[in-house]
Amino acid sequence: MIRIGVDTGGTFTDLVMLGPAGVSVHKVRSTPDDPSRAIVSGIQEISGSTGGAEVVHGSTVATNAVLERKGARVALVTTAGFEDVVRIGRQTRRELYNLMQEDRRPLVEPELTFGLVERLGADGEVLEAPDLAAARRLAQQLSDTGVGSVAVCFLHSYRNSAHEDAVAAVFEAAGLQVSSSHRVVREYREYERWSTTIVSAYVTPIVSRYLTALESCLFGSRLSIMQSNGGSISASAAKAVAVRTILSGPAAGIVGARAVADMAGYPRVITFDMGGTSTDVSLVDGAISTTTESMVGDFPVRLPVIDIHTVGAGGGSVAYIDRGGALRVGPLSAGADPGPACYGQGTMLTVTDANLLLGRLDPEYFLGGRMALDIERARAVMLPLAAELKVSELALAEGVVRVANANMERAIRVVSVQRGFDPREFALLAFGGAGGMHACEIADTLDIPTVIVPRYAGVLSAFGALVADVTKDYSLTVLRAGDAASIAQLDELMQPLVAQAESDLENEGFTLGPGTAYVTKELDVRYLGQSYEITVPFAEGFREEFDRLHARRYGYANAARPTEIVNLRVTATGVTRKPELPRTEVSGPIEAVPSRIGPARFGGKTVDTGFYRWEDLAAGSVGHGPAVVAGAQATAVVPPGFSFRIDEFGNLLAVRGVAQGGRRRQNTAVAVMS
Amino acid sequence: MSQRKTKVDPIEFEVFKNLFVSVAEEMGVTLCRTGFSPNIKERLDYSCAVYDAQGETIAQGDHMPVHLGAMPLSVRAAIDDVAMEPGDIVVLNDPFRGGTHLPDITLVSPVFLGHEKRRPAFYVANRAHHSDVGGMTPGSMPLAREGYQEGLIIPPIRLARRGEIVQDVMNLIRANVRTPDEREGDITAQIAANRVADTRLREIVEKYGRRRIDSYAVALQDYTERVLRITIAGIADGVYEFEDYLDDDGFNSGPIKIRVAIRINGDRAEVDFTGTDPQTTGGVNANYAITLSATLYGFRCLIAEDVLYNAGIARAVQVIAPEGSIVNAQRPSAVAGGNVETSQRITDVILGALAKALPDQIPAASQGTMNNVTLGGLDPRTGRRFAYYETIGGGMGARPGLDGISGVHTHMSNTRNTPVEALEHYLPVRLRQYRLRKDSGGDGSFRGGEGIVREYEVLTETAVTVLSDRRKGRPYGAQGGEPGQSGRNTLINKDGESVIPGKATLTLAAGDRLRIESPGGGGFGAKPESA
Repeated sequence: MIRIGVDTGGTFTDLVMLGPAGVSVHKVRSTPDDPSRAIVSGIQEISGSTGGAEVVHGSTVATNAVLERKGARVALVTTAGFEDVVRIGRQTRRELYNLMQEDRRPLVEPELTFGLVERLGADGEVLEAPDLAAARRLAQQLSDTGVGSVAVCFLHSYRNSAHEDAVAAVFEAAGLQVSSSHRVVREYREYERWSTTIVSAYVTPIVSRYLTALESCLFGSRLSIMQSNGGSISASAAKAVAVRTILSGPAAGIVGARAVADMAGYPRVITFDMGGTSTDVSLVDGAISTTTESMVGDFPVRLPVIDIHTVGAGGGSVAYIDRGGALRVGPLSAGADPGPACYGQGTMLTVTDANLLLGRLDPEYFLGGRMALDIERARAVMLPLAAELKVSELALAEGVVRVANANMERAIRVVSVQRGFDPREFALLAFGGAGGMHACEIADTLDIPTVIVPRYAGVLSAFGALVADVTKDYSLTVLRAGDAASIAQLDELMQPLVAQAESDLENEGFTLGPGTAYVTKELDVRYLGQSYEITVPFAEGFREEFDRLHARRYGYANAARPTEIVNLRVTATGVTRKPELPRTEVSGPIEAVPSRIGPARFGGKTVDTGFYRWEDLAAGSVGHGPAVVAGAQATAVVPPGFSFRIDEFGNLLAVRGVAQGGRRRQNTAVAVMS
Repeated sequence: MSQRKTKVDPIEFEVFKNLFVSVAEEMGVTLCRTGFSPNIKERLDYSCAVYDAQGETIAQGDHMPVHLGAMPLSVRAAIDDVAMEPGDIVVLNDPFRGGTHLPDITLVSPVFLGHEKRRPAFYVANRAHHSDVGGMTPGSMPLAREGYQEGLIIPPIRLARRGEIVQDVMNLIRANVRTPDEREGDITAQIAANRVADTRLREIVEKYGRRRIDSYAVALQDYTERVLRITIAGIADGVYEFEDYLDDDGFNSGPIKIRVAIRINGDRAEVDFTGTDPQTTGGVNANYAITLSATLYGFRCLIAEDVLYNAGIARAVQVIAPEGSIVNAQRPSAVAGGNVETSQRITDVILGALAKALPDQIPAASQGTMNNVTLGGLDPRTGRRFAYYETIGGGMGARPGLDGISGVHTHMSNTRNTPVEALEHYLPVRLRQYRLRKDSGGDGSFRGGEGIVREYEVLTETAVTVLSDRRKGRPYGAQGGEPGQSGRNTLINKDGESVIPGKATLTLAAGDRLRIESPGGGGFGAKPESA
């Protein structure tokens, strides 16, 4: 069966197909009012049919529902006395010194919040049974008022689910759609669990409708969805756990980036996705890093998601001089409309304008020649700022790029240094519209030795959807003394999670077996008394591994201090068929020939720079900076002192000094999944 | 200074700002992730900062506002008292040597660069609120009459000498606190935070050179000063006065007056607390460090830019606080509540005075208290002692054009709550309710935020101390808005319900309950006549 990865973006819907003849790529204009139209016509165009394919989809439906407030009307039912837990949150304000900060806008209307008499103790013991008669009255009232779904959130339900189950059954019997907190995430800390549950209740109806409609348009095909954790899941299963698709699109991008880096021979990369308004960075240390501490808009979502750190600096970020006389870039962005000045409409100086003035964008071959750039307009918005700072326009342009880079370097430090990783041991993989123009200079500042700009930078998310494995994750808070718990006891506690994982894999169509469909077990461990956990593989000696990771991340460990096991984690993985990318054998280095030589600005000097068209460069081509390599999907800027080569997949690899020709390692061109 | 001669490029400025901010942030992440006190790990009651060779702040993380002015004073005290060598760490909590109150323990480390052994190039420091430092009651937030009752006082002394922990000092600290293992764990986390900063600063200097780093450190301070001066210059010259009251000190009857006159003259401000009541018996005395913090916080809020908090901010604002007054208390007065309660009222009078100059920018009063609750006793489940401290949010004052936020920490605090499920798992306590307090916000064109109701049931005999204010007084409204509701503390036991004072120490029997209702915020603007 052919497989198709699909990513829905704001402007384009990207498709990557793995068919009998290999991989092919297609782009169609998105249809934001109903994303499925573009998907269906794209699939029709790329494969000639809408049936008989396996389609894996990175969707923004759930995210947009939250960000644009288009989700379901949700009723919230909590333990009586705790109705405002989610309103209060952690009782903190977002900004310390801003007297005019806005309040968070809750997803649940205050008049749809209800307290129900029931209470469990911290060990799950019943202190007061749920008032089911009141629940029935409420169910009647809610079905009369027509709410879209109900979030049932009781204290300590991670310990004992009986009360939530009993009350959920009452609401379901009345025909209401229910999200119970222990089913969404079985972990302690009520605010985060309940918030996740409300988001789930908020997005489930809309995602479910969307998937049902899409499935019927793709009759005969099998539809799967990317989840925030970087794995895919069948559409039918996704309808029940829609909240797990909330960062579907960005997750697909990281999976794609990782697969490309792996093929290129770099299993350890920092991905760097620079778009128009923001930049996403993430760290891949062999495996993709996940976190359970993410936020969607104002709301914590305590489910495993790919650990992506976002900063408000992108190609459209606006440069200005503040009252103290310092040059600042972002977070204000010119966005897509009006966009950078050089696009022809904008009136503010952006990072893209600065790149153009520096000669780092080829005005004749922007987006492969699909869009003309207005350099005079960029210069006109630059001049007043340069005059105010009393510097030349080129010095200012370089400054704008440096300040933007500084913001992005800080983001890379957050995902690497702050997590105990040394960025010098990683490669930097740049994608998104502007990533390749900044990556070398950023890598240089952080002493990152290698930069990778994928040839298919523009369709990495669709590619990621195509190569993603099927995964599901399960967790359970246990709060047990780590040193008293035996492996056998823990294993027993994990059994229900494992059984569920195995049955879910079988429902996804997999047969259990090593390397094809398997279950991995992990523990969240901390020193007794701490509040943050480190996830370690579940095995004899997990204690030593915990000490080792603690020391790496925080600089110290104490083998004598007792530990606590907070959560059990189980992940089910079903391995999918991986595409073989078109690969050209590289015999030896070929000197790349620029299409022209022109001026560009680096390090305060204007220097003769080679301008290359990516599509003209054969595998094995080598060249040196200063160079601008412009392709249909990405532009790579290679500063003086760097050299580059094109690998067998068409990716550009840049290093400081002289690039080695040929391949870095013998590699079977298949993304190896762990 | 010779370093000043290196040219500062307005373009590179932002690059160096990012570098210093990253260091302070990374210290904070390390401290919070590895701390053991709920106050550190859940409530984020800590601050981290980087100082220049003179001990002047270059960058302080956006952590606890009440530590703002106080942190540099503790670095100054450490420099004055201890001739620091490479690998040394100075520990202190003395409120009259740059401390805030005794539970806030500060660690100061010098950063020496490679060959330069004579003088540190930088200092780094972090301050964290420990759950217990001894004294009269568990949690070390007692109703004391003098500082010696509040707990262990640590003057600036070496906790580590040339990289080795001075075990004698650690043993002395352990012997004086109720939960020694937790204390040692927290101090270890604090040491790790300073160590992280030490490593990063060396890397940065190696990369950019000492000269450049030093000149940008100066530029960062100058920049903050410049932005604040521009802000002050935008206020009309004149004298703006305001006064407000603390309910009482828990012993003598109140109210206790805090009075301020802010004199704006061009781009300078003089903040004069002359006329404020004298220091008092109970622990609501604020040392100078706290008054400075609250004052600088008020001015920092006027700046729209995200400037770094550093030494530059103190240069444009002069604080006059009469010695022996409640805003510049002298040894050995009790100060536990000065940090948490009086600091809030100082903020109220600063903003109240500024509102006379800037009526369209300054909100009504927020709850004006932190509602401090400490619980301690013997946990029957484990046979171990427990000491627990928390604060409760309340109503934010309404703003011009915006209602106040409900159930939130305001001004001098921004600490998180402890999850109900965590509290009940680790302590013999059950919460009966945790919700917003309806109709507690002041009315007006814009409404004040609502306070919080938090009701505890203790499951074993428990010593409780409550330190709260605005139980008699009310958070003021602004520009015709109504004041917010006063807070109320209620004891519920076999004899029924009884309202208890704002500041009280009591012993609860198993099954007794304590209900704290925090104040609402003041309203903004007269409520329009209903049609």
